[in-house]
Amino acid sequence: MPDNRHLLQYTAMNKRRINSFSLAAFAAVLAMFGNITSAANITSQKNEDSGLYSWVAESEGFSIELIQLLPDFVRAIYMAHDFPDAEVDEIAGYCVFGTIIKNTSQQQLDYDVANWHYTDKHGNNHPVKTKTQWLDQWRKAGVTFSWTLLPDKGTFYQGDWQQGFTTIKLPRDSEFSLTYKWSINGIEHTDTFEGLRCAPEQLSEQ
Amino acid sequence: MHLNNYLNNKFLSLPLLAIFSGLLALSAFAAWDVQPKLGYNLTPLPKPVPAPGFTLEDMDEENHSLKDFHGKVVLMNFWATWCPPCRREMPSMERLYQKFNGDNFTVIAINQMEDGDHVFAYTGQLDVDPTFTILFDKDSKVSNSYRVSGLPTTFLIDKQGNIRYRAIGGREFDHPEVEKQIMQLMQE
Repeated sequence: MPDNRHLLQYTAMNKRRINSFSLAAFAAVLAMFGNITSAANITSQKNEDSGLYSWVAESEGFSIELIQLLPDFVRAIYMAHDFPDAEVDEIAGYCVFGTIIKNTSQQQLDYDVANWHYTDKHGNNHPVKTKTQWLDQWRKAGVTFSWTLLPDKGTFYQGDWQQGFTTIKLPRDSEFSLTYKWSINGIEHTDTFEGLRCAPEQLSEQ
Repeated sequence: MHLNNYLNNKFLSLPLLAIFSGLLALSAFAAWDVQPKLGYNLTPLPKPVPAPGFTLEDMDEENHSLKDFHGKVVLMNFWATWCPPCRREMPSMERLYQKFNGDNFTVIAINQMEDGDHVFAYTGQLDVDPTFTILFDKDSKVSNSYRVSGLPTTFLIDKQGNIRYRAIGGREFDHPEVEKQIMQLMQE
């Protein structure tokens, strides 16, 4: 028979077991219905040199960082790769974010940007234009360069990460949220990145 | 000043515009040149896959084929000069190459859609000039054959020409864990 101290430890240990079991069971039930909505830990910061904002959301095995990019930067990038003016103007007309995604788990992670959407300030949902859709458009315009955008689909293993541009079709300075999905070992997770904002047309004089 | 103001200036010469856009790209690039910590995990493939063959030119316009490296462990890296993590991992690739070169090991860096002049200008800025083989995949056909969707992506190929490990995103290639994986393949 355990004494009081041991009893407390024993009870606490069993509570943890019960909690772990409950959580696992809850996750399993959710997984049966196909999706787990995660609660991301979101941080934001302002780059004092560039004046631009970035946000990082970390949730179940997945980290995503969005970095505001100025339209002039986007123009310069695509002009430097000899894109036709019309294509440069079109992509610079989107809100373009530098995006870094990482597998922070030790399991297989899969994502597909075609399953992501953003929500504007009126509550309307819009699909995120994928790299494949951009490339189809650019090929018709005679562009073969294909490396700047975040790949639409990926299978990441431990330590894998990727960066590239994500394009959101909203006016400058717009606020929006991004709902993104990924799966870890086949279990799908969903999260919403609230409080995002497009970069301004240009930075105000400081 | 806004770029459109420059673009709308009829008196701006094209060379000046090209220089300006290049400078703007470089300065703006710094804002996007974020520096996530580089890891060291290379993922073993469930089973070895034959590495697709190719023949590509190097900086001196000499052809190299993958089969030329048969019998060596090859760290094959797909990269570009404008790709921030590619630039960050390159010094560790050189250190790895210096450590194991000549010991049935080599490094091949396959540049995507750039030319020799561009890469030469870039490598000239590095503290240590890369001495491993740099090849040019000018139409990305080779990266497509390896199903590379983003840069950098790296494969570790065994002495029989099979892909054994893969890494998406930048790595510190001279990390002891990576060196251990390479040494294991060299000893097979």
